[in-house]
Amino acid sequence: MSNDFYKIHILPFSGIIIKLCRAYTNSQEDFEDYYQEVCLQIWRSKPNFREESEWSTWVYRISLNVCLTLLKKRKNNKQHFVSDSIASEETEDSYAFSDESLNLLYIAIRQLPEIDRAVIMLYLEEKSYQDIANVIGTNPNNIGVRVSRIKTKLKTLLDGKIN
Amino acid sequence: MEKSIEKIWSEGFLANDALIVPKINNLYEQKSIHIIDKFTRMFKINLISIVIFSFVLLVITYIVDAFITGLIVFITLSILVIINKKLLNGLKAIDNSMSSYHYLKSFNQWMKTQIETNKKIASFLYPIVFIAILLGAWFKDANGELLGERLVKEVLYGFPDTYLVFGIPLIGISVALFIIAILAIFGGKIYEFDLKIVYGRVLNKLDTLLSDLEYLNN
Repeated sequence: MSNDFYKIHILPFSGIIIKLCRAYTNSQEDFEDYYQEVCLQIWRSKPNFREESEWSTWVYRISLNVCLTLLKKRKNNKQHFVSDSIASEETEDSYAFSDESLNLLYIAIRQLPEIDRAVIMLYLEEKSYQDIANVIGTNPNNIGVRVSRIKTKLKTLLDGKIN
Repeated sequence: MEKSIEKIWSEGFLANDALIVPKINNLYEQKSIHIIDKFTRMFKINLISIVIFSFVLLVITYIVDAFITGLIVFITLSILVIINKKLLNGLKAIDNSMSSYHYLKSFNQWMKTQIETNKKIASFLYPIVFIAILLGAWFKDANGELLGERLVKEVLYGFPDTYLVFGIPLIGISVALFIIAILAIFGGKIYEFDLKIVYGRVLNKLDTLLSDLEYLNN
């Protein structure tokens, strides 16, 4: 990857990549692997970009698709989707945010099913329901209902933990 | 909980350490850990190994005077390689910038197609290899005579009332057909079982993700 490509096409959008990768990983090591893989896949897929959508939306799509289907070897050497069944207790201390509320929110997000994590991340990034539906590939009419359900679930998970 | 999740989100990322970009080195040289790239690598390695093996077998069977075995296996494996090369092209064509639903569906579809195709191939491959070995043995030269014909003569010498079909003992044909049937039935199953051990969890996960997306669609 040329340094210029990274600086121009990826670095300005690193925020959304970081936020997303954080939702699907529970350790600094996994997070760095995910971030690196997303950058690699964005670079490889660049020729497919037809400017039919915004670059940020396109980056979001690739980041999400990579996070949903990334394979890593766990300690027992069996291949898994790492994002599957992450328990909050597994999160490393060094991986935590300094903002305790954000930290607790991420721990709660990681307890959601993978698709719900994607929906709520896009919602929190202030994407419209139509944009969320476009990225995920679903019917926009149902996104609103799903968002409220996820928010209720997150509130339950965070209940009493944040003042 | 008093703060809304929207507020936690927006305020949390104002902190300086919240969005620290990880350092990445030699990104282009890094081996991809993505499932599609892994499958692509695995497929390529398998196909190259099969091509090398079939050529080596062709030479060995020529040397040991069982060329027909090598030739049949070579042709069968060549067909296997051609079919899997086409499958590989389909895998490479999956565009990861599609929406998640279409991306996962394309990948899931590819997985199912390749499993079904290779399952069918396996149910033909093992019997064909067995037949190739039998033919190689039958047509092998045994002191100016075909080994198969010589064996039949020896069987007839010991058991003169053996029933023959096209000059071959019926019992021999029956045993061979039984083994071929077993190989045809279990060939595909062995492939499926093997794949499920390695990728069963991935396949289940894909199904779960797709079901969730389809539920969201309806």
